[in-house]
Amino acid sequence: MSSVSSRAGVEVGGTFTDLVYVNEGRIVVAKAPSTPTSPDQGALNALIKGNVNLATLDELAHGSTVATNAILERKGARVALIVTEGFRDLLLLQRHQRRSIYDLNYEKPAPVVRRRDTIEVSERVGPTGEIVKDLDEAKAREAIKDLLAERSFDVVAICLLNSFVNPSHEEALVRIVEDTLPGMPTAPSHKVAKEFREYERASTTTLSAYVQPVVSRYLNRFESSLTTKGFSGAFSVMQSNGGRMPAAAMAENAISALFSGPAAGVVGAVRQAARSGFQNLITLDVGGTSTDVCLAPGGQPSLASATEIDGLPVKTPVIDMATVGAGGGSLVWMDDGGMLRVGPESAGANPGPACYGRGGTAPTITDAHVVRGTMQASAFLAGDMHLDAEAARKSFESLAERFGQSLLETADAAIQLAESNIARAIQRISTERGRDPRDYALVAFGGAGPMHAVRVAEEIGLSTVIVPPFAGVLSALGLLVADYARYDALTDRQPLDAEAPNTVRKHLASLTCSIKDHFAEHKLASPKRFSYSLDMRYRGQAFEAPVQIAEQDLAHLNDQGLEDLFRKAHQQLYSFAKPKGEAVEIVAYRAGGTLAPPGFPETPLEYEEVEGTRINIFERGKTSQALLLPRSGLTKNAIVGPILIDDGLATVFTPLGWLARLDPSGNIIIEKEV
Amino acid sequence: MALDPLEQAVVAQSLIAAAQEMGVKLIRSAHSPIVREAEDCSAALMTADGNVVAQAELIPMQLGSITHTFRHCAERHDLEALEEGDFFITNDAYLGGQHIQDIFLFSPIFFQGQRIGFSATVVHHIDLGGGAPGLNPNATDIHSEGILFPALKLNRDRDWTRGPWETFVRANVRMPDATLGDIDAQFAANAVGAERLISLAKKYGVSKLAEAMKEMLDYSERRVRNALRSAPDGVYEGEDAIDDDGQGSGPILVKVSVTISGDSMNIDFSGTSPQVKSNMNNPFASTVSSAIAAAKSVLTNPDIPFNDGCSRAITVTAPEGSILNPRYPAPVRARLLPSYRAFDAVMKALSKATPERVIATGTDTTTACCLSWLGPKGYDIYLEIFGGGYGAGPRNDGVDGVDSPLSNCANIPVEATDMDHSFFRCVDYSFVTGSGGRGRRRGGLAFRKVYEILENGVTFATYGDRFKIAADGIFGGEPGSKACNQVIRGEEIIDLPSKCQFTLKKGDRLIVQTAAGGGYGPRQERPNALIARDSEDGLMAAE
Repeated sequence: MSSVSSRAGVEVGGTFTDLVYVNEGRIVVAKAPSTPTSPDQGALNALIKGNVNLATLDELAHGSTVATNAILERKGARVALIVTEGFRDLLLLQRHQRRSIYDLNYEKPAPVVRRRDTIEVSERVGPTGEIVKDLDEAKAREAIKDLLAERSFDVVAICLLNSFVNPSHEEALVRIVEDTLPGMPTAPSHKVAKEFREYERASTTTLSAYVQPVVSRYLNRFESSLTTKGFSGAFSVMQSNGGRMPAAAMAENAISALFSGPAAGVVGAVRQAARSGFQNLITLDVGGTSTDVCLAPGGQPSLASATEIDGLPVKTPVIDMATVGAGGGSLVWMDDGGMLRVGPESAGANPGPACYGRGGTAPTITDAHVVRGTMQASAFLAGDMHLDAEAARKSFESLAERFGQSLLETADAAIQLAESNIARAIQRISTERGRDPRDYALVAFGGAGPMHAVRVAEEIGLSTVIVPPFAGVLSALGLLVADYARYDALTDRQPLDAEAPNTVRKHLASLTCSIKDHFAEHKLASPKRFSYSLDMRYRGQAFEAPVQIAEQDLAHLNDQGLEDLFRKAHQQLYSFAKPKGEAVEIVAYRAGGTLAPPGFPETPLEYEEVEGTRINIFERGKTSQALLLPRSGLTKNAIVGPILIDDGLATVFTPLGWLARLDPSGNIIIEKEV
Repeated sequence: MALDPLEQAVVAQSLIAAAQEMGVKLIRSAHSPIVREAEDCSAALMTADGNVVAQAELIPMQLGSITHTFRHCAERHDLEALEEGDFFITNDAYLGGQHIQDIFLFSPIFFQGQRIGFSATVVHHIDLGGGAPGLNPNATDIHSEGILFPALKLNRDRDWTRGPWETFVRANVRMPDATLGDIDAQFAANAVGAERLISLAKKYGVSKLAEAMKEMLDYSERRVRNALRSAPDGVYEGEDAIDDDGQGSGPILVKVSVTISGDSMNIDFSGTSPQVKSNMNNPFASTVSSAIAAAKSVLTNPDIPFNDGCSRAITVTAPEGSILNPRYPAPVRARLLPSYRAFDAVMKALSKATPERVIATGTDTTTACCLSWLGPKGYDIYLEIFGGGYGAGPRNDGVDGVDSPLSNCANIPVEATDMDHSFFRCVDYSFVTGSGGRGRRRGGLAFRKVYEILENGVTFATYGDRFKIAADGIFGGEPGSKACNQVIRGEEIIDLPSKCQFTLKKGDRLIVQTAAGGGYGPRQERPNALIARDSEDGLMAAE
């Protein structure tokens, strides 16, 4: 792998498709408009725009929203579902509760398989894998034949009760489907998510089946046009867990491609910040309508074992992010109780903030910045777009009047409220999970991240902020630096007794094997690093505390040690642990294998002699003079705020009391003055 | 010291976030399935004198009355004498509680020696002793429903952790690990609330924080009053009924007269039936909760934080000795049945004031399904709460197979009950097709759960309703189908009433089937596309 010299990352976003191209130690960045109906077209355009020589390209890493959009727009495959007799309504009954408790006109999230496309088979597996009732194969064959004859399907999903312990009935049904209609793809739940809770497993399985053909088709089409243009290198795709997989592997597990864009951004930010020596990081991505934050202790973004899309649960490892509806386009308003509010509604792309001059009149966070002077009308989007400062002021007039405050005060208050909402999102993934954010540095990106980062850092007690270069294409960069990764899990209830360490070793060894096989199958070198965790709980609990097990501790693990690890994890998560000796059990076993790609070339630093200009800003209730500089105007010698750094696509704000410098790796480092 | 609009907004959002965090931690660390899977619990942060300012929105029924419950503790104990580690605990229906399975735990929060608030949690506990495991449908008074904690003041270090009170509780409940584990989860959630409130006090100072909490109450009150002002003034009446008292009575009537006048509302339940001998009496705290929940759902924006400010604009009265304000020692376990009829009666009254904002009557019943068995390893109790179908709205069909409006319990996964209980197996969990009340928009479908019994001597205990009186349609919509319980024993089919206890044998199949929701508007006006969709999916026949 180390011989790779020419690499490209292409990330398809909602508006732009971004490219980062590394060739002979040089980095080229390009952007092309996205083409939502066939995203590969936009990706090819970006490759052309970046002058990528496909014939000599060794590696192409890709991220897209194809899987996510297929679900959100309900444009996935036609899926049939086979379930245990008595449970045809599994996907419609869901979990029986509502997400909004006072909404009389509530509607449940719509599943991706219709009831008429769901059939039952007579069988039952018990909780320890025993066969309670044999599969009636003759009847099942009949029912499957009728179903497949009646309508055409792209794939048949199968989710039987307790199949995560004993998949034999699901396996038998796979054979029957293949006999009945040779070539018909199947998605048995034990292959997709080997974990208990039937609704969540069925939801994951059907969603996976739903996006599979769409993603496969898309990747095949893209790969064949690449091949036509002479590409013969490795083609890999980003997953929501922050790791990559060869495109061929993704065609079997497309559900893992959900939310790959935000994941790539996090990976890019973390890797770039690590080049300046920072390990414990919180990422802050502030976009137009929302903000994503993620905790990455020791440079590893935290993973959650489940997520949801459009209200439907998905059991697949994802980078654990908290999202708040606060971004540059978020509307600032007063509710009928007289309270100041920011978001979650946003001005969207059209008309956008009032200052864009496209007819918007409602005040947004971006307008608030223009009013305060923290966003300069001339410097926005590298001067490509002129901002209408008068329209921004006008948008705040009526609000300021109702609060009895000046325009400046109201705009300033709106920004502070947005920053406080963002700080709370960070607390949700740190303090609320028993992690002290003060041990971390904040790495900011996205259009508005660098503007708010220092004040957010201050609110939660951090003293370092990092703004990486390439902030506008950080996701594409993330694709190139992401590890190859594969995660696998299984459920098996085991009391924490003398037997437990052996069971743990047995299951983790088998998961490790299957991960190694997966890498080998896709012609990758064996994973270099393994991570292990157990889902453990006190007997009687239903939610498990994840307990990390270090690779080197596995061999000499004992039950005492396991108990200590569990009690520590429980204490951290829930602020209490019971006295030693309480009955504890292990429910699930998780393993991940990763393989790092070759290193990233150093970016030569360019310093300029720049005078900068002095401008007036109003911030935190005070008027002051700030220095306006381009990024290249910073040097390795720190200068004191207030400074506004015009970074092309974003503005970096350093307030009074903070020092900014450019470090040799190209990151802007902003530190609290001591 | 007044706060500027920014500080107010920031503190308010922080308090709401803290209450939500309490709720999440409570559910995640709880032991019994009724909390951890079904989420039958609530959490709140309160002012130093005990007014709820922010709550985790989990169970509407438990939310309206936390302050009311707290008052009884405050009357009995000097708040000024409270110390670090002290707590109030109560489940007494006649001291501001609801039914006794709901334990309220209040912990005072101190900062620099000064009391700055309380954190509160409510949890439905799986078993608190009493005449039968989990649920005693034959209780004749509140004492046969379990042990009472009558607004006690205790200290955690002294009385709970390995202390005498923990020992006492352990000895008086049938599944001590579950009950004690859930109380521990309540303490932990309260501690989280305390930590968050203290960090706000550090940042803003005690007096600013107190001021912000006070303003949160005023804020919710203002928003509720704004909503009331937009509804037409008048006196509106409504009524609904419970099938029977489970002991052979006829229908038990709930009547309401709702007066909207300017920016306030009075909800008066005069004319409601007297209290009953069985466990269907509604402690007054529950009546207040259900009436306010109905008014809030219909008239206000879901975005208004539900706190004590909301209740200032709405007064609730019910005659003493009625089923909605019973006298000691009437049993109260099935209090949600009259609570729901109070909810339905208010909804029907408001349909005359704001017809475009109401929905048809739904299943609006909590069906408690309790199976218990004394096996070689001690008691094994399974309890699950069922809703049914929602009433249809002006623009949408009622939700199918979902918990009813005053509650919000999740189901217990069948794979979880398979793991946890060896004495039964759930073999069917499905919609009752064709059950929704027809209309321009149809009512939500009922569902059934069927259990195969794997041991002799299994006790089924239940309360439910709408076996005799269906959920009404509205504005020409038709009623939903009724509920039923059946046992299939070989060739024999045994029909069971809505409230009963019954001993099951190995091999029996128990069917618990809920009612469905009523329709909205005339059925002739139902769009063809919806008729076709329901028919293709086999949910409702085309006619």
